[in-house]
Amino acid sequence: MDAILDILEDLKPGEDYRTRTDLVDARVLDSLTILALVSELEDAFDIIIPAVEIVPANFNTLSGIWDMVSRLRAADL
Amino acid sequence: MESYFSVAMLGVILPLTVLLYQLVPPRVRPYVLLAASCVFYASVSGVLIAFVLLSAVSIWLVGLALSSLDRQQAAARAAAADSDARRAVKRRYRRYRRGAVTVGVAVNIGLLAVLRYLPHFVPAGGVLDISGIGVPMGISFYSLQAVSYVVDVYRGGVQAERNPLRLALFLSFFPQVMEGPISRYGQVGTSLSAGRPITVDGLWSGSVRIMWGLVKKMVVADRVNVLVKTVFSDHAAYDGGVIALAATLYTLQLYCDFSGTMDFAVGAGRIFGVTMPENFRQPFASRTAAEFWQRWHISLGAWFRDYVFYPVSLSAPVKRVTGAARRVLGNRVGPLAASGIALGCVWLGNGIWHGAGSQYLLFGLYYFVLIWLGGFAGLAGDAICGRMGVSRSGAAWRAWQRVRTLAVVVVGELIFRASSAGDALAMLGRLVGGFTFASAVDGTVLGLGMDAADFALVAVAILVLAAVGRARESGVHPLARLCPAPYAGRAAVVMTLFLVAIVFGAYGENYQPVDPMYAQF
Repeated sequence: MDAILDILEDLKPGEDYRTRTDLVDARVLDSLTILALVSELEDAFDIIIPAVEIVPANFNTLSGIWDMVSRLRAADL
Repeated sequence: MESYFSVAMLGVILPLTVLLYQLVPPRVRPYVLLAASCVFYASVSGVLIAFVLLSAVSIWLVGLALSSLDRQQAAARAAAADSDARRAVKRRYRRYRRGAVTVGVAVNIGLLAVLRYLPHFVPAGGVLDISGIGVPMGISFYSLQAVSYVVDVYRGGVQAERNPLRLALFLSFFPQVMEGPISRYGQVGTSLSAGRPITVDGLWSGSVRIMWGLVKKMVVADRVNVLVKTVFSDHAAYDGGVIALAATLYTLQLYCDFSGTMDFAVGAGRIFGVTMPENFRQPFASRTAAEFWQRWHISLGAWFRDYVFYPVSLSAPVKRVTGAARRVLGNRVGPLAASGIALGCVWLGNGIWHGAGSQYLLFGLYYFVLIWLGGFAGLAGDAICGRMGVSRSGAAWRAWQRVRTLAVVVVGELIFRASSAGDALAMLGRLVGGFTFASAVDGTVLGLGMDAADFALVAVAILVLAAVGRARESGVHPLARLCPAPYAGRAAVVMTLFLVAIVFGAYGENYQPVDPMYAQF
């Protein structure tokens, strides 16, 4: 989870990613930031994030992002 | 083309369907909706209903194929010896599944392209001239729904449907087949086939919504029709002031006609227990062009976002471009620059979806440039205001953004309504170079199909629409508030709206009712 936090801090610093639950709904993560985040996550975790995963539920919280990454990693094994 | 707000629909098809739907057992109700949809479709497009059924069969077969491949893949992975073998299975079946979904998309986009666009590009009387077949009603809408179904099954977002008749109903549901909204199977599939009983609540709230749409169509859209047609059909005869007026009234007309039709779709769906997606959300409160498209024809924008923008952005070549742009230009400017590729695809597709005319390509290009460059301008503005310590969150700034966006939208609709890109550019040229209030001062505008009373009524309608929009923006739905528990009160609201449409509606020898404006797309 810390690796994801580092990526988020690098992309858009200054947000409290550990506690926020509205990262997409409050447009902290807009579509362009999400695209950059997807690119970073794919490189960092050696996964492919398909378009179907680009939904608010997967990006509103840090834990939601982590759950998505974990699920895609498990599915790839 | 027949409007949803016709005596045939409001007086015969809808009431008869409601009656029959309620009388039959729940498991038969979806088939009543399908039968009503087929009758309505055939009454407008005749034998062309075969193309809707062909689309339904195609996506049914592709859905079943994808489902079967999923089962085969699961069995093959379970039998695989190690993770390498499982990955190999996954790769193999990914190819098969991509092949299946490609067939589904190609069939439906192919039918759309051939029936809708080919006649524009082949010589009349030639071997490929199929203009005699005609264009099936709503093909641009149901084809996108068909594509969304096969892609959603491919992505795992929805289960493949085993009953082809349910898919036929999904594509042809009569309140939405003519102009949308472009719904997804995951949104409406279950409720369409649930056969829920009609409730008093659903009947009245649906009726109120339909009557609200009727008011917008008859009082506003039909009233401004003659002026809009007169000016756009002979624009060279008018100065920039009249063209600005016609473009503004056309924007209002399109909103009232299209959102009014959506009120019918949502209201009729509500009667049958089906929650249709909303297609408009106070579009004129938008502060940017990008925001406007999140509030106007929402289902089309969402379709392009989910099935074009994200897939293109997340394709391997574009991701490489995005990564390189980020390294060179940084985390904000880099992705924005690279997003131009996907955004270009979206707006090219959006323009072509509306038609083969050059004005639609110009319309797409206009919004592509505005939204893409607007992103850079927004970043630059943030940086400059941040350094200067200027706030851009004040009421005055927000008001300016709304006025600016409204002007941008009116120009866009002028391009959209023009007969060609050349006509649009000529009108824009006169708007800039020949703007004058002379026609308003000398009374010319009162001879274009609207008298002073018409203008006054439209002004009042704008104030009412603005007040309703402002309330809804604040989270209050005035029509819902006007529907207190007593059913007599709700009936009074429906009757009042109906009377408003009858008393203040524009019909008779001085007016020409507008055909359903989005049904041509």
